[in-house]
Amino acid sequence: MSNNISFKDVFIKGAVIYNPVLIQLVGLCPVVAASTTLARAAMLSAVLCIELIVTCVISSAFLKKIPRWVRVPLYIIIGAAIICPLLWYVETQTLLNLSLGMKIFVPLIAVNSMTAVHCEQFSVKNSVKLSLYDAAAAGIGASFIFIIVGAVRELLGYSTVGGIAVNLPITFKGMALPFGCLILLGFLAAGLKAFVARVYPEDSENGEPEIKPVTQASEDYSQEATEVELFDEFWTESVEEEKPDIPVPEAPSAEKDEPKFSTAEEIDELLKSLGIDIDIKGDKQ
Amino acid sequence: MATKTSKQNTVKASQIFGDYLIMLIAPCIVSVMYYGSRAAAVIAVSVLSAVFCDFAASFLLKKRFLLRDTSNIFIGTAIAVMMPAGVPLYVPAIASAAGVLTAKIPFGSSLRAPFVPAAAGFAIASVCFKEQVFDYSLNTEDKLFGAKSLASLLSEGGAIHINIANVFDIVSGNIAGPMGTGCGMLMAVCCCYLFIRRRSALLATAGFVAACVIYAVLFPRVNSSALTSIVLELSAGSLLFGAVFLVTDHSTLPKGGITKVIYGAVCGIICMAMRTVGTYEETVCFAVLMANGFSPVLEAALNALPSFGKTKNKGAAEK
Repeated sequence: MSNNISFKDVFIKGAVIYNPVLIQLVGLCPVVAASTTLARAAMLSAVLCIELIVTCVISSAFLKKIPRWVRVPLYIIIGAAIICPLLWYVETQTLLNLSLGMKIFVPLIAVNSMTAVHCEQFSVKNSVKLSLYDAAAAGIGASFIFIIVGAVRELLGYSTVGGIAVNLPITFKGMALPFGCLILLGFLAAGLKAFVARVYPEDSENGEPEIKPVTQASEDYSQEATEVELFDEFWTESVEEEKPDIPVPEAPSAEKDEPKFSTAEEIDELLKSLGIDIDIKGDKQ
Repeated sequence: MATKTSKQNTVKASQIFGDYLIMLIAPCIVSVMYYGSRAAAVIAVSVLSAVFCDFAASFLLKKRFLLRDTSNIFIGTAIAVMMPAGVPLYVPAIASAAGVLTAKIPFGSSLRAPFVPAAAGFAIASVCFKEQVFDYSLNTEDKLFGAKSLASLLSEGGAIHINIANVFDIVSGNIAGPMGTGCGMLMAVCCCYLFIRRRSALLATAGFVAACVIYAVLFPRVNSSALTSIVLELSAGSLLFGAVFLVTDHSTLPKGGITKVIYGAVCGIICMAMRTVGTYEETVCFAVLMANGFSPVLEAALNALPSFGKTKNKGAAEK
C-alpha cells in the first residue's frame, strides 16, 4: 500500500465504511456490557483509543517478522501491558473516580477482537504511519459509537444525560440491559449502511450482499402466495417418500456444439465411423 | 400427487393473519366482557400504535403501505390481550411499536421475520415496564384469588386446592391475569379452528402443550395432585395463548411435521423452566423468542439425521 494515502482516506474507510463496531462487529462485548451511561462510554472510548493506537503502532514497528502464531498472543500481552498501568493510574493517581465500577470490563478491552483484527490485518502489513492512521480511525469510529450508545442508553434507561436529569415522562429500563443495546446497535448499523450506500456507493457494493430495495420487497409481499403446510401433506407423507424431493443429480449436459442423437441407428453410425463395432440394437445376436 | 399437494398448500399471505384475526375475536370479546371499556381502550390503542408505526416506517423508508397486510392488527391485538386491563395506555402502545419496529420492519414483513413480532413487543414491555405489565389489580374484587394472578401464586409455591367451581373460573379466565388470554376453553376452540383449517402448525402447539404437561407433572410447583398442577400451569398467564398464536407463527416455524412437534416441545420446556427459575411470571414470550433463535439450528440438526432426510431437502430449498 502506498504511503501517499492521506489520513482522510484511511479515516473514511476505517471509521465510517468499515466501522469496527457496526460493520465489522468487533469489540461488541465492552459496548454491550459497559456503555450504559455516557460517562462510562467516554472512559471506555478513551481507554480503547489509547490501547488500540499503541498496540497497532508497536505491532507495525516490531512484529512484522515474527511468526503469526506468536504475534497474536503478543497483541494481548501488549494490550494488557498498556491497560494495567493505565487503570492503576486512573484509580490511584487521579482524584476523579473514573473507574465507575468498570474493573471487570476495562480489561476486556485488552483482549478484545478489535485490537487483534486491526493489528493482524493492517498493522503488520503496512508502515507505522499508516498503521497509526488506521488505529486512530478505528478508535475514533468505535468511540463515536460507544458515546452515542452510552448517551442514548442513559437517556432512555435512566432519564439522564451525563448525570444531568432530563426527566423524560417514560423511562425504558430495558435500554440499560444488553438486549436494549443490541437493538440500538442494530438500528445504528442499518443507518450507517444506508448512509454508506448513499454517500459511498462504490464501497458499499464491494463485499456486501446486494440488498433488495424495500419498495420491491413490498411489491413482492402484495402478490405473495405463501406456502403453508397443511395436514394433507402429512397424510400423504408415504406417497412423498416414494418420490423424494432429493434433487436427482443431472447427467453431464452435452455441449451445444456436440452432436445429439435421438435414435440408436444414429449412434451406431457414429460408432462405426469411429471404428468401434458395438451392437447397440442387438441385431447381431 | 406432489404437485397437487403443493398447490393445495399455497395460501395467500393475508389469509394467514386473517385466520389469526378471526381467532382473536374471541379473546377480545372475553376481555371486554370481563373488564369493560377499559379493555377495549387497551386493544384499540395497541392496534392503532402498531398500524401507525408500520405506516410511519413505510413512509420513512419510501415503502408502499399495504392495507391488506393485517399483521399489524394481529400484533397489536395479540399484545393487548396479553396485557392486564389496568395497564397504562402508553405501555401497550410502546409494546406494539417495539414489536413492529424491531421485529417486523427491519425484515421486510411479518412473513420474513426471524422472531415473532408480538412476542418481541410483549417481551420488551415486560422488561421495560415490569410493574405495570404484571399489575392485575383492576376489577379483581370478585375474582377467584383476588388481585393475585395464578402465575404469581404458582411462583410462591404452597398448596392450592381447587374444586369444580374454581376450575370453571380458572379455565374460563375469570381470574386476575392477562385480560384475554386466560380462557383455556377459548384456546381449545381456536385449536379446533386451526384443525379445521388443516394447518400443520397445530403440531407445534401439540408439542408445546405436551411438554408443558409433562413438565408440570415432573416438577410441580404446588403441593397438590398432578392433575391440579397441570390445570394450574396450563391456565396460568398466557401459556395457552402463546401455544396457539405465537408458537404457530408461520415465518419462524420449522418445516416438517416431527420437527414442528419437537420445536414446540423445546419451546414448552424453555417456557416452564423459565417459570420455575426465572423472575418473570409471564415467560411464554421469552420462550418463543429463544425458540425462534434455536429454530434454524434445531431444523438443521434434525435434518442431519437419516430419518429426517425427506424434510432436509425441502427445508434447504426454502431457506
